Amino acid sequence: MSEHNTDTTTRSDTDEQSAEQRRSWTESSGSGTVNIQDLTKVYGDDGDELVAVDGMDLHIEAEEFVTVLGPSGCGKSTVMECIAGYLDPTEGEVLVNDEPVEGPDPSRGVVFQENRLFPWKTISENVRFGPQMRDDVDESRVASLFDQMGLSGFEDAYPHELSGGMQQRAELARLLANDPDIMLMDEPFSGLDAMTKELMQEKLLDVWEDDDRTVLFITHDVEEAILLADRVVVMTARPGQVKDVIDVDLERPRSTDIVTTDRFNELQRRASESIHDEAERAMEQAEGRV
Amino acid sequence: MSTGSISDRLVEGFAGGLPSPTRGVRKLVSLVGFVAVWWLFYEFGVLNFEHFVSPVTTIVEFAGALAGQPLTEGGDTIYLHAVYSGARVAVGVVAAALLAIPLGLVVGTSDRWENLLYPALEALRPIPPISWLPIAIIVFPALALGSISVPLPALFVVFIGSFFPIFTNTIEGARTIETEYGQAARSLGAGSGDVFRHVVLPATLPSIITGLSLGVGLGWITVVAAELLTGGPGLGYIIIQGSRLLQNQVVVIGMLAVGALGYATSALVEALGNWLMPWSTE
Amino acid sequence: MAYARRLEQSASLLALLAIWAVVTMLVGAIPSLPSPVEVVVAFADAAARSSFWQEVGRSTFRVYLSFAIATVVAIPLGLLIGRSEIFSDLTFPALEVLRPIPPIAWYPALTIILLTPANIVRFIIFLAAFFPILLNTIEGVRGVEEEYPQAARSLGATQFQTMRHVVLPGALPSIYTGLVNAMGLAWVSLVAAELLSSSGLGYFIWNAFTAGEYPNIVVGMIAVGVLGYGSSALLRRLGARAIPWLSAANA
Repeated sequence: MSEHNTDTTTRSDTDEQSAEQRRSWTESSGSGTVNIQDLTKVYGDDGDELVAVDGMDLHIEAEEFVTVLGPSGCGKSTVMECIAGYLDPTEGEVLVNDEPVEGPDPSRGVVFQENRLFPWKTISENVRFGPQMRDDVDESRVASLFDQMGLSGFEDAYPHELSGGMQQRAELARLLANDPDIMLMDEPFSGLDAMTKELMQEKLLDVWEDDDRTVLFITHDVEEAILLADRVVVMTARPGQVKDVIDVDLERPRSTDIVTTDRFNELQRRASESIHDEAERAMEQAEGRV
Repeated sequence: MSTGSISDRLVEGFAGGLPSPTRGVRKLVSLVGFVAVWWLFYEFGVLNFEHFVSPVTTIVEFAGALAGQPLTEGGDTIYLHAVYSGARVAVGVVAAALLAIPLGLVVGTSDRWENLLYPALEALRPIPPISWLPIAIIVFPALALGSISVPLPALFVVFIGSFFPIFTNTIEGARTIETEYGQAARSLGAGSGDVFRHVVLPATLPSIITGLSLGVGLGWITVVAAELLTGGPGLGYIIIQGSRLLQNQVVVIGMLAVGALGYATSALVEALGNWLMPWSTE
Repeated sequence: MAYARRLEQSASLLALLAIWAVVTMLVGAIPSLPSPVEVVVAFADAAARSSFWQEVGRSTFRVYLSFAIATVVAIPLGLLIGRSEIFSDLTFPALEVLRPIPPIAWYPALTIILLTPANIVRFIIFLAAFFPILLNTIEGVRGVEEEYPQAARSLGATQFQTMRHVVLPGALPSIYTGLVNAMGLAWVSLVAAELLSSSGLGYFIWNAFTAGEYPNIVVGMIAVGVLGYGSSALLRRLGARAIPWLSAANA
């Protein structure tokens, strides 16, 4: 335990330095920072209040891959919805590129837990949706996305005709067609079988390493959180706050093979320990409410 | 681009469990606005409304009618008319349900019975129930039980009107039962009678209730049409009688009474459904 | 198997005809009830007269016109009510007062407001079709998972584009159910309203009754039944074409 703690201190020192460096770099290049300041979200009113998030602070650098790890019902989706612009914070602020978030925007793409390809549109219509809304479809870009995501030949299929993994890739393609600065992903792979999930994680890492994008990825899967992230943010049970930030100093580019390394296991143990108590508390909360 | 609305709605959706005072106020505004438009139309003669009746008169007369005053000079009370119409709907729908539910279950679970019964009934289904009225008048002589005459034609039309929705929904429900339920019951030792009683019937119940609800609605439509054409007592009769006597408030009272009873009976069917299906999540 | 099936189905229809024939011709239980032969003769007779086809055309046109108007009014209204809580609170309670009143019960009141029987019939059919379409549209809109509109907004769709490309198609299966129900109720109310008026197939039926030409009652019933059935079949075909992602799912 003590070993881990000293580890953290030293690492977070270096992290602050590198964050400083990155920050200055970001300002010149432009876009993709997310700044969550004292974010509080309360649902309901008059005696039936539910504090989902309570005074959360988090800074995400441009092009950083951050995973948020938390027990179910800890308000991690609420945080994402505030960044996406679906929810207004009760208190505090969410700044994207130093501007307060005002509603959804194509520069902040969202992938939901359940597949949300429009069932009434073909794969091609789904992938084109964003650019189509602005009458600005770049055919060569769409074609290369179909190629990259292995969707060629399925342009005219409806979503339900595709396998789960293909649906996920199509949803990712739909997001990328919009060329967002920030990708917000809410447990996108939790419905997939283990093998498909692994392939999707690698696909996502490829996509992220190719382009300059910030990713905020929500999950309750410890292994997934570490595999993907530059930093893992561990959240407390409700009301949600940042409990712990774990720097993932594994080399990139990564593949799923990395999960067998010692360093990975060490990080995984740390994250598991950090989240364990919170998961227990969350379960008690859930049982108390039902 | 108004960006706040989606998030606003989300919050409202969450708070939807307990109606906030503003929602109640808005709904009241809706109802008051409705009466106000009616009153303005009447006062300023929009769309010939000046020949119609003012909402004030209607409300006053409705209160009087509820206090037991006869609706028309020397006529019957609103309660008597309501009882006649209500009884026709009740008897017609119950008779229809007693026939349609077993038939629907048989047709929905047996291919042979489906082939034998469904085509004939399907040929009759598209004929609008009201158009049976002349035939019903020809076929059924008025039945007299002591001093009360029972006009069978109106009953028959209500029966036809509610039969088909109950029948088709029962078939639909029986057809869509997952076969695994029956298989599971058999593997647990149930005989075919047990499967019917413990699997087919409860699994079809939601559809039967939907059918009953539609059937009751059509029952009210047909009973009013039948009473408009064949006379009373009954709420359909009072609607046309009020019009003949140029007492438009009676027309409106009749309409509102039919509407209220229709609303109440569909709530009754819903309550019946909830009582019969405690496992239902809705 | 298929052969036996056909045989049983034919037996079903023949039995219906046989019961009718036995009751009216052989037993003579109800002498005034028209027999199948009388009805066939009357049908041939009516089909030769242009006045019959005029009534057919008139009734059909009434149903389709009022149905179309009801669709055009009810779907946008339903989309708004389903999507906006404020709009719903302000309009829906008033509509809920009117909804449970059977359309035909409006007939006497409408004589004062709309004056001509033809307009009254049109309005009654409109009412009969309007509420099922409205209710099913609202239900359909509320059944669309909130994440679909959210996804659309995040992909850059405006409120209107979200309504057009996401909410409307998402609600379409339910809207379509409403349209089918509405078509059935439109024909039911057409007949009821025309029985009280002076033109159309409903009037044809009532006139046959009062004039004592009983076989023509059945001719009118069959004509209305065929037209109603045909209208529903047409809608079903159009629906399958408008909702390809569902028909593919069921296939």
